[in-house]
Parts: sequence; structure tokens; C-alpha cells
Amino acid sequence: MEPNFARSRTAPPAARPAGDPFGLSAADLRSALGLALSSGGDFAELFMERRTYDFVNMEDDIIKESAESVSLGLGIRVLAGDKTGFAYTNDLAFDKVRQAARTAAAIASGRAKAPLPRPLREKRLEKTVYRVSAPADRAGLKRKIGLVQQAYGAAQEFDRRIVKVKASFQNSLQQVCVANSEGLLVRDTRPMVKLVCVAISEKGGQRESGYWGGGGRVGLEYFQGGLTPRRIGEEAAREALLLLEAADAPAGEMPIVLSPGHSGVLIHEAVGHLVEADFNRKKTSVFWNKTGRRVGSELVTIHDDPAIPGYRGSYNIDDEGTPPRKTLLIEKGVVRGFLQDRLSAKLMKLSLTGHGRRQDYSHPPIPRMANTYIAAGEDAPEDVLRSVDKGFYVASLSGGQVEDSGKFTFSVSLGYLIEKGRLTAPVKQATLIGSNIEILKRVDRVGADLEFGLQTGTCSKEGQDVPVTDGCPTLRISKMTVGGRS
Amino acid sequence: MKSGRWRTAPALAELAESLVSYAGKCGADEVEVSVVDGHEFNVDVRKGKIEHLIEAGSRVCGLRIIKDKRTAFASSSDLDPGTLRRLVRNAVRRAGLGHPDPFAGLAPRSKRTADASALRLYDPDVVGLDAKTKIKMALETERIALSDKRITNSHGAGFVTDVARSVLANSNGFVGEYEQTYCGLGVGLQAGDTDGRVEDSWSSSKRYFRDLESPEAIASKAVERTVRQLKPRKVRTQNVPVIFEPAQTPWLMGFLFSCVSGTAVYQKSSFLAGKRGRRIGNGLVTVVDDGLLAGELGSRPFDSDGVPSQRTVVVERGVLKNYLCNTYAARKLRLRSTGNADGSGVGPNNFYLLPGESRPEDIIKSTKKGLVLIRTLGHGLNPVTGDISRGAFGLWVEDGEIAYPVSEITISGNLGRVLESIELVGNDLEFLSPVAGPTVKVAEMTVAGL
Repeated sequence: MEPNFARSRTAPPAARPAGDPFGLSAADLRSALGLALSSGGDFAELFMERRTYDFVNMEDDIIKESAESVSLGLGIRVLAGDKTGFAYTNDLAFDKVRQAARTAAAIASGRAKAPLPRPLREKRLEKTVYRVSAPADRAGLKRKIGLVQQAYGAAQEFDRRIVKVKASFQNSLQQVCVANSEGLLVRDTRPMVKLVCVAISEKGGQRESGYWGGGGRVGLEYFQGGLTPRRIGEEAAREALLLLEAADAPAGEMPIVLSPGHSGVLIHEAVGHLVEADFNRKKTSVFWNKTGRRVGSELVTIHDDPAIPGYRGSYNIDDEGTPPRKTLLIEKGVVRGFLQDRLSAKLMKLSLTGHGRRQDYSHPPIPRMANTYIAAGEDAPEDVLRSVDKGFYVASLSGGQVEDSGKFTFSVSLGYLIEKGRLTAPVKQATLIGSNIEILKRVDRVGADLEFGLQTGTCSKEGQDVPVTDGCPTLRISKMTVGGRS
Repeated sequence: MKSGRWRTAPALAELAESLVSYAGKCGADEVEVSVVDGHEFNVDVRKGKIEHLIEAGSRVCGLRIIKDKRTAFASSSDLDPGTLRRLVRNAVRRAGLGHPDPFAGLAPRSKRTADASALRLYDPDVVGLDAKTKIKMALETERIALSDKRITNSHGAGFVTDVARSVLANSNGFVGEYEQTYCGLGVGLQAGDTDGRVEDSWSSSKRYFRDLESPEAIASKAVERTVRQLKPRKVRTQNVPVIFEPAQTPWLMGFLFSCVSGTAVYQKSSFLAGKRGRRIGNGLVTVVDDGLLAGELGSRPFDSDGVPSQRTVVVERGVLKNYLCNTYAARKLRLRSTGNADGSGVGPNNFYLLPGESRPEDIIKSTKKGLVLIRTLGHGLNPVTGDISRGAFGLWVEDGEIAYPVSEITISGNLGRVLESIELVGNDLEFLSPVAGPTVKVAEMTVAGL
């Protein structure tokens, strides 16, 4: 499909950089920013976005549906102290943009303090964290159908007990442009691909499901050299079959060993959300008064790095135009930093970390995670397992949730019992619950085998979904409540 | 037209019909076009000041095209005619790359129609409400809540309004449209010091402004729900009766919905697949999906396939009577659509457990030892198996009375067994959300703690 950027606009075509899908000149943008500040705001920002998305799925042995969507819009934000005025429009005609600017401006009451915003100077990005050699947005649908069929076939042929398979492929290309009253003008074009497979197994009337997938900010070449569609199908089938043999999870407090990769969800919930700066600026997070204080075992060091090449949570600039940096959150059990957006960084008088993200142009940015992980320790993974006489091994996870008090859960889709240092019976779904500081203090073994989980995860906060990943080595928690059955 | 701000409305229906006819010219056998034109207002206040003020209008157009029984979808927030026509042409071409699906196709045209005005979906007072009033009500709600000395921090209060017009047209000659309004007011609170924090919230969501709970009522419920959790204990792992408060029953019903959804059933992703006509719960369990309840949030004249809304008995005194279907799932299951199409999937209208006769206070009195479930954390629901395992907060009951709050526990069980072991159903049904239910006492679930 050829991208089509032709639209009738008020701006003269000569003012548009090549490939600009928004049709607003630098002069238009500056004029809209000026209007946004006309009631006396401190800061104004325009976020323009055009996103194309393609999807194809297979079910009942047929390529059932394909979909294409186009999303185009502009969000305009005005900051006045700690107040935010925000408006958006999906009509980029200049008069509609001006109208949105006036709406956002109304948050401030008064008259412009500053003259016009600074002249915009376009900043060129020098390097990219996206790893694409075969762009999915330029590939034909046939090639994507091929990937879906391979994953589907691999799951279906894996075993006779696989009775139902679904596989789907999706890719998107998000073009963003951020302009603000401090003179920043910067653009980014972010690719994303995702191939997932769900397999349903059945035996004697009992059914179970398995899930696997992969992707990231990569091109279609990822599915040749990296994770193959065949492997995605097989892993989904394998999980569905294992669950047929699985017993109910145990209930009560016991030692837990987390598998590497998937278990990063625990760090995302237990730590990541509560070091997002907004919750700390508002003092609702249990961490707000703990900077420099010990909240966990010395073995726990946690970073968030939005610049890991090709990862699903990565970006060249955040949605406020800030280049991100790898951010130290917890160092040897001590709180060292927060994930910042502009508003929180300004109010807390701390520096930007590049974690201001938004779902799309219709939402204001808020502090978010990108790729969050707990650093590798020194233990051999098999020693960690061997150290547990009787406990619960978390093999794969399906998600989690946390509240500001630090109570958090994560849901295990497949686990194993640990008996005398070895994995024995597989066990089914169970939710684990704990208080984050107590659990971080109980981390007493950390493996050297850091891995990241599936490149398919999405994080929700305040009604906004953004792509993320998380990572974790093999890890032991001396005691945690497992929500199985007794 | 009910209000001047819909001057552009006829243009939306024209746009939809013109795209239907354009797609026909491009070679589509069947076409469906939806257009939604919405206007959103959202204010968040915290500690007596405005935090966010969002106001915007937006439109989105969705297309479904079927050619030779092959389906393609498209959508766009860019309503430029050139963009939309390109999406139509792409969709016709893409459809050719899929495989024929004998079950694909639009809903047949129905003789029945539902009267949108009788459904009371649109309140001119919501449209006419000025920003100042909404901001004032949010500030007032938070101020009243914070005046209680036991409240130590605020997540803020918010007022939201949404006004939307939806248009649907298809090549079977269906053209329908309706307007709807939504308003919501709520507040989130914390009590206790930083290391002994508890939190909760309360909100009211309605179509009509006059039906909204007052700032006083919302604040006092939020305060009460928060402070009752202070100084929680953790209990030992045991099997006990679990009482769902009316604010908790909706997730149990939502989980049941995901298991009776025709899509999950034909995909074998529900433990209730193949159980139609069979007993799946005891005689106290009657569950209905009703798209025609006047003034309720889950009501609408027709679904996203253009099928008129109806009342469907899903479970009658424990017997599974119907799966909830869109046109496609109904064909797959050789059933009739129940008017539950939601985009390309299946969604609930007003989906609720019918109330029983017990007073909620008597339900607690009937319990020698057990848990009143007041909040949950995390997901832990698996429709394929019916398994439930969620983080929980509650009030411990001893000898028919609330003894103390509990936290950091989980509840687990299986939906099939839960439906079979419902002991008492409260008389306190209220539509806090489109998926609803009264107080429910389940005879036994596992509470995991120490």
C-alpha cells in the first residue's frame, strides 16, 4: 500500500518538509503555540500523530479477516503551574487547530506573560533504536498471511489434542511530530510488529489454552532470524498441552522461584509503577518519601531503558520530544530515581528521563515505563532452584496489577511445584499477592541469566495503553502468598 | 434534531450512505459503514485545584466489506473523502487475499425496529451543562471527602461528560442513527500513613444529569469505603463463604458474560461451550441481557450489525438458555443474533443477575465465618476453564458480624462451582454499570493468606 499524504491544507506546500503528513508549516505551529499561551500559560506543546495499522488473522483454517486503520490527529497542551489544559482534534485544518489551541489555553486565566514562543528549530535525530531491514508497512499482505499460516500450522500439527488455533499478525507505523513553546521541533517514525498465536487443547472434556508471540520495533526479518512463526505456534501448543496435565495450584505462603524473562511482570508491578514520578509528586506512592532509602534486598537493582534496540517498549524520543536515557530506579535495594515527564520533573525540580508517553494524540502525556528490568545477579539458575525444598515455580505469567499502597498481584498462567530442589508437577493458573517493600526485602537469590519476556506486552494506566517489555533473571523470594485452592 | 450542535448530523448519514454506494461500485458484495461523532469533556481536580481540563470533539469511521464471502475491515479518524475512498478500495483488494468464509455476511434486514427516543439515551441537560458547573461539582466532591480527618491523601476527583451521535448504514438498506449522553462524577482517596495506606474510590455514572449521585453522597461513600479498610489483618488460608458486595458482583457477571459470549463459545474458549440447555447453576441464578432498559448505560436501539436490541434470558433458574451473539457467532452456532454485536466482536448490553429476596444485612448475619469481598486486584479469570484467582481485600465476618478488615489475600474458585453454590441473592440490584448484580453469597471459595 502506498502511503497517501495528499490533503488540502491552508499552508503553502513549499513550507512542508518532505514526507510530512500533517500539512502545517513551522509558522502555523508557532502561531498555534502563541495562541495557546495567550491566556498566560507557562508552556505550550503540540503533538501531531498519524498512525497506520494493518491486521490479519487466521481461524478455522481460513484467513478470516484483514483490517487497515488510519488515525490522524493533533493534541495541544498548555501548562500553567501544576494545571494542564488539553484539547485535541482529528481535523488538522488550521482553523480547527487554532480552535483547539484556544480551548487548551483556557486553563490559564489572565493575559500572556511572555511574548511569542521561541522560533522553532527542527532537531534531527542522529541515531535510531528501531531495527528494521524489511519494513512491514511496505510489505504486501500475502507475506504477512504467510507468517500467520506458519504459526497456525505449527500449533495445529503439534499434537492431536490441539482442537482450536487462532493466529494473527499486526503492524503499525506511527509518525509523530512534537513542537513546543521552548522552540523544540522534532519528529519520529516508529515501526511495530506483533505475531501471536493462541492454541486450545482438549482431553476428556477439559480444555486449556496456551499463548505465545513476539515482535517489537523491528521488521519482518525478525521472524526469520529471531523468533520464527513456527516456534510461536509450537510454544502456544506446548503450553496448552502442559496445562491439561496440570494440577490446581497450592494455596498459602511459600517460597517462590521466578523463571527468567516472563517474571519481569513482577518488577513492572511491584516497583515500576510506584516509581512513576506523578504518584510520588502527589505523595500517593509508598515510595514518595523513600529516595535514598533502602526498600529491598541488596540483590535488587532495577533500571528502565527505553533505548534497547528493537524492543517493543523503545523509542527515539518520548511523546514530549525528550530523548530518553537508561534510568536507575533501585540500586542495591535503595530508591535512586523516578520515571519523569515534563510536568513532574518541573514540579519536583528533577531532570527529565524521557518517560513522558501517551497512548495517542487524544491523551496528555504521563510518566510511563518502557523496558523495565531487574539486573542480573551472580547465582547459577540451577543453584537457585536447588536451594528450595518445597515451593512454587512461576513459569509463565499473564499480567498483574498494583495500587499506590504497594499491594500488587501477578497472575501465573503456568507454574510448577518445587520439591527437594527440582521441578515436579505442572500447576495451573494462580494469582500471587504481596506488599512491594516486604517482597523486595525477601528477594534472597538472583540468577545471572537476565532475559526479557515476550515482546507483546501492553501496560494500562489511567485509561492509556502503551507498549512495554520487562525483564528478570531467575529469582527467589523467600515467602509469598499463592492464590491456589485448598 | 434535539440540539443545535448537531447541525452537521445529516452530513454523517450522507457520508455513510455515499461510502456504501462507493464500495458497491468498487466491487464489494456487501458493505457496512459506521460513523461516530463524539464530544468529550473531562476535568480532574486534586487538592482543591484543577489538574487536567480536556475538551475535544472527534469522529471515526468504520468500514466492513465483504466480497465473495471474504471480509475486510478498515477504520479512520481522518474523514477526508480521499482517505476514506482509498480505504474502501484497499479493503476490496485485501478481501480478495483472504479466504471465503460461508458464515460471513451482514445481518438480514429486520422488520422490527427499536425506538431510540423511548430508550431515554440522550439528556439535553448533559449537553447544556457548562464547564464551570462540572468543575465546581468535582471540587465540591473532593472538598467534602477531604474534610474528613481520617482521609490522608487524594487521588483527585473528576467529572466526565460524553455526547455522541452514532450512524450505521449498510448495503441491505439499513440506515439507523441515535444520540446518547453520559456523565460521571467520582473521587479516589487514601487513608492511613504512607506505610499503612489503604485506598478506595466511589463514582456515579449515568445518562441523565439528574440521576447522578450528589457530591455529598459520592464523597461520603468514598470516605466510608476507604476508612473501613484501615489496620487490616492477614488471615490464614482456609475455605469459607464469600459475600460479594454489589460493587463486586459486576466482575463476576462480566466473567460470566465472557463465557456465554457466542464468540468464545464457537472458538471453544469457554467452559460453557456445549452446555446450552443444561443446568450450570442453582435455582437462585437468573441472568438477563437487556438492551432496551430505558435510561440505562447499556441500552441502544440496535447493535453494531444493525440488529435491533432485545431482552435475552441467558440463565433461567440455573439453566443456560442462550448464548449472546452477534450475527457472525449466531451463524457459526446455528442460533439467532441476540443484538450483542460490538465492533467486530460481542459485547454486553445491560447484563445482570436478577435480584433475590435477601436483605444485605441479613446475608452477613447468616454467616458464621466468612469474607465480605470489597475490592479485587489483578486479573486471574480464565474463560476456557472458568477458573478464578484474584487478589482481594475484604471484611472478615465472625458470628454474623463484621469483625475486622483483611488484605493481601487471594480468593480462588471456579465459576461453574460458584454458580452452583450461590446460597443467597440480595434484593439490592442497582445499575452502577451496564454489567450489574446485587449482593451474592457463595457457599465456599478458597481464601489464601498466611
